[in-house]
Amino acid sequence: MNGGGGGLRVAIDTGGTFTDCVYLAAGAPRVLKLPSTPSDPGAAIERGLAELAQTAPPGEIRHGTTVGTNTLLERSGARVAFVTTAGFEDTIAIGRQARPHLYRWSNPPAAPLAPAALRFGVAERMLPSGEAAQPPAPAELRRLFRELAAAAPEAVAVSLLFSFANPAHERAVAQALEELGVPVSLSHEILPEFREFERGATVLINAYLAPRMGRYLTGLKTRLGRRYPKARLHVMQSSGGIISAVVAAREPVRTILSGPAGGVVGAWRVARQAGFARILSFDMGGTSTDVALVDGAELAEGAAGALRTTREAQVMGLPVGVPMLDIHTVGAGGGSLAGFDRAGALTVGPQSAGADPGPICYGKGERPTVTDANLLLGRLDPRGLLGGGLKLDEDRVRRYFLRAKGPLPTVEAFAAGILRLAEAHMEKALRRISVERGYDPREFTLVSFGGAGPLHACALAEGLEMPRVLVPLLPGALSALGILMSDMVKDYSRTVMEPVDAGTGKRLEAVFRALERAGAAAMRAEGWRGAPRRELDVRYAGQGFELRLDAGPGFAARFHQLHRQRYGYADERRPLEVVNARVRMIAASPPLALPRHRLRPGAGAQALLHRRRAWFDGKPRPTPVYERERLRPGDRFPGPAIVTEYSATTVVLPAWRARVDAWGNLVLERR
Amino acid sequence: MKALNAIELAIFKNAFHAVAEEMGATLRRTAFSPNIKERQDYSSAVFDAQGRVIAMGDDMPVHLGSMPMSVAAALQALCLEPGDVAILNDPYDGGTHLPDITLVVPVFAAPAGRRARPDFYVANRAHHADVGGAYPGSMGLCREIYQEGVRIPPLKLVRGGQLDRGLLALILNNVRTPREREGDLTAQIGACRIGEQRLLALVKKHGRARLAHAMDALLDYSERLMRAELRRMPAGTFVAEDFLDNDGIGDAPVKLRVAITLDPRRARATVDFSGSDPQVQGSVNAVAAITYSATFYVFRCLLPEEAAPTAGLMRPVAMVIPPGSVLDARPPAAVAGGNVECSQRIVDVLLRALAEALPARIPAASSGTMNNLTIGGLDPRTGQPYAYYETCGGGMGAAPDADGLSGVHTHMSNTLNTPVEALEYAYPFRVRRYAYRRGSGGAGRHRGGDGLIRELELLAPAQVTLLSERRRFAPYGLQGGAAGARGRTTLQTNGEERELPGKCNLFVPAGAVVRLESPGGGGWGKPKP
Repeated sequence: MNGGGGGLRVAIDTGGTFTDCVYLAAGAPRVLKLPSTPSDPGAAIERGLAELAQTAPPGEIRHGTTVGTNTLLERSGARVAFVTTAGFEDTIAIGRQARPHLYRWSNPPAAPLAPAALRFGVAERMLPSGEAAQPPAPAELRRLFRELAAAAPEAVAVSLLFSFANPAHERAVAQALEELGVPVSLSHEILPEFREFERGATVLINAYLAPRMGRYLTGLKTRLGRRYPKARLHVMQSSGGIISAVVAAREPVRTILSGPAGGVVGAWRVARQAGFARILSFDMGGTSTDVALVDGAELAEGAAGALRTTREAQVMGLPVGVPMLDIHTVGAGGGSLAGFDRAGALTVGPQSAGADPGPICYGKGERPTVTDANLLLGRLDPRGLLGGGLKLDEDRVRRYFLRAKGPLPTVEAFAAGILRLAEAHMEKALRRISVERGYDPREFTLVSFGGAGPLHACALAEGLEMPRVLVPLLPGALSALGILMSDMVKDYSRTVMEPVDAGTGKRLEAVFRALERAGAAAMRAEGWRGAPRRELDVRYAGQGFELRLDAGPGFAARFHQLHRQRYGYADERRPLEVVNARVRMIAASPPLALPRHRLRPGAGAQALLHRRRAWFDGKPRPTPVYERERLRPGDRFPGPAIVTEYSATTVVLPAWRARVDAWGNLVLERR
Repeated sequence: MKALNAIELAIFKNAFHAVAEEMGATLRRTAFSPNIKERQDYSSAVFDAQGRVIAMGDDMPVHLGSMPMSVAAALQALCLEPGDVAILNDPYDGGTHLPDITLVVPVFAAPAGRRARPDFYVANRAHHADVGGAYPGSMGLCREIYQEGVRIPPLKLVRGGQLDRGLLALILNNVRTPREREGDLTAQIGACRIGEQRLLALVKKHGRARLAHAMDALLDYSERLMRAELRRMPAGTFVAEDFLDNDGIGDAPVKLRVAITLDPRRARATVDFSGSDPQVQGSVNAVAAITYSATFYVFRCLLPEEAAPTAGLMRPVAMVIPPGSVLDARPPAAVAGGNVECSQRIVDVLLRALAEALPARIPAASSGTMNNLTIGGLDPRTGQPYAYYETCGGGMGAAPDADGLSGVHTHMSNTLNTPVEALEYAYPFRVRRYAYRRGSGGAGRHRGGDGLIRELELLAPAQVTLLSERRRFAPYGLQGGAAGARGRTTLQTNGEERELPGKCNLFVPAGAVVRLESPGGGGWGKPKP
């Protein structure tokens, strides 16, 4: 059994405010929430584990980390040098020649991760065929070493043209730079795929993160190792699979969306157990909202390690080519600011009140936010969030709204408008990942989590004509739960650019074997036994976009079929080419079933806290407020209703009803 | 009907924009050619019953103001009925240049027969990689539009849901890559249908009358935005000139002149291009739709970025374009380069005039050319013919508060480049260099952005066509900033290097190296000593 061995399996997800620890005790998931310790994220982890260790010693610690993301956001990574083929030093900065704003004349240039003085060329050339047109001369490599040594970088990224076709020159460069004594990231190891900008940027980000991530993870491993010598430390990747801390320290670019990926895996696993395999996940926080689509109908049974990933992800305006779950982020959340433009139309976002000053109701902010609108309309409990730990000042909101409401008749109308517009923005994000990619949201369940998500989920489902909303048990710790339920995954790929003919299968077999050998060896080194999954990126010869599909006999016919399904047409006579060969090594974790309870018909009376005046469709209505923790499987009640719990509030709209399913999830359906 | 309040205004603005964006996403997803999929050379828009633009996707600025002219031309020529799709590309009847093919679809809110006229329209336009004519890529140096490709007046490509196979065959028989064209046209039809469905869903939700009312309100809203902006401007008439290097046939510079009169009291502006040169022999002529687009673009940029580009935005702006000039060419003038080159110069001359009025807001000139490079020949690896077309970005002009960006597509252009590694797989080329052209941006308090250098070694004999600008007249600086460096193209054969004219067509042997250096942007303000 993979990941077996003794001790407790614990998932720890570091967030901006809280560090969530989730583990299984007597078959049921338990959550321990601790305040995060941003200056030293490991401190909260250590504290959490110390508390858990009283139950049982941890055997496997799985970590969702924001160190990589924050390093990028704060631009606080290493002083990093970029080495490429001479004559192409600028490609990493030029990108695809796109400008960030079409209709803005003033665009202050962003500082590149590697400025011109830290970009180095090496005279060498590899051809698409893998033939070396010009090997790097020893004198050239010595010059490169001297220049780099003088520039004193903290990390180096190397990405030479066509290195994936033949890595010999990159290896020679790596050898020449060994004595620098800093981490060197090589493109043929991180992402052996064509398109020099996308590959180069991915490797550059990796090098940029490596020193800090390396220090953090190595430090954490040592620190935890002293107390729990038998525990292994694993890290969640953006792809939705787990890797060892050692690999994550070397290849941190794979962990940029560590936490959000946990959320998507958690949403999908929980929904699937509840009987809904096709989901849109909707995670709304204070400043941003993450949405993703998982189509369980496309997936093999139980294969969470096979969630659909994209290679077209962008992080901070840079492409990241390693596999990532297709998570779309919009800069709209509870803290988004509302106002009016010069011609009198309401606006919500893109500016946010952030944590400081925060919404009006927190006592400091002076500009209306989405959270304030929710409070004013009775959807949030003025007695406070987080079990009363954060009191909300409704009167203050009313005062400021009265001044800010412009020509609108009432503060309630203003607040309702803010919600409608914020929801319109989020609906657009959900459409982008579904309708625009050929999926019909009416066939999907909206799985909502994060502090603010369940406040808006019902309205969004209504707008998109989705049949159902699922608010999982523990919506505030879903990322950690997802991490706990993930499999070990390692991805391997190589650009082959093979025309499809009678001999293709045979030629690909050799490539696949090589990738699998490398994968199996790496898995063994970590003590796992992985099963390979072969995939191909295929396109019509000369096209610019590839489709990913399972390898194996008949892949050409499947390509035409998929192309027709996705794009509406296919052309069987047109020649195909295989762009990339991929192997995904998956070591399934021991299955983790959430406890299922017997349904007992009820109306939730035991959980009814009180009735509060809340506004729906422009009218105040007395609305029952339920306490989530006291609802029981089998309870059903109609909307309008509000369900509060420690870290989230759920709104059930008038035309909807709610029920608690056998796993404790809240399921909202149209009446 | 009840007036729209601030909330509804925002909601409808958002909803119509989403329709246009979804059409664009569908087209991008389903189109066949790299030009549409990878370089994203397309646009989508939504129109009201009178053919006024209500929403546009954030795609190609050069299509901004010219899409409504396509709808107007289709309405003029055809009686559009349910299930119809109109097609056109004639620059002299609703188009811009021949590679841009536009489809227009009428949307009927009520069942057929009940309503005499469509309630709304949706349209999209895509740049097709070849529409026939004398040169592969249909962007070569021509003297008459007849040489530039197949010319399609507004016609029904689909009648009541039935594709006109005869018309389609006629079009496909006149282009070099018919299967790809058919795939792209099919994708365009599909994208229009998506737009139609999404509009009908909005009708179901809000009612036809409410929707029409919302469109009127949005037009008024955009007008208010523009008028508010115009009220803040200084009164007066501001004049500027700028030049195209030549028309590619003769060597005489081509003058563009504009006089912008701002009237803040009445919140109006007049843009008068009188005094611009008559149309020329080569293909840099613009039709009026292009001139209108460039003007629309400039005025839109004066507003906050989220302003909706509806027809209302241009209500306070009157335009005078002398007929038969290089800015309103008449048949049979060649116009392929009007869209890509002249459009950029129109922006330059408008900005130069506005800089007199608004010195603290207007940026210096950007590179001012799309550096169109077309290469064709036989690929020795396969024995098959190939055609490569690409544009190249340059330096952006410095702004009053920021340096210009380096190596980007500017103003009217918004396409992406092809990766070096993709290029070498697809064509018999070796890329020798791809770099910023250091020092090409004009000096100033804020520096102009640098242009790019791209060196291509051709591994087999090839036909090379270059259509570029700013080889003679440099992108200007403003308020004491220096001009950006002019563009330059050289050809190395057998160890000898020579400079190529900005617009040329030549046959080169294997081993030749084409080196393109794109212009830098102008600087802004006196450099600090």
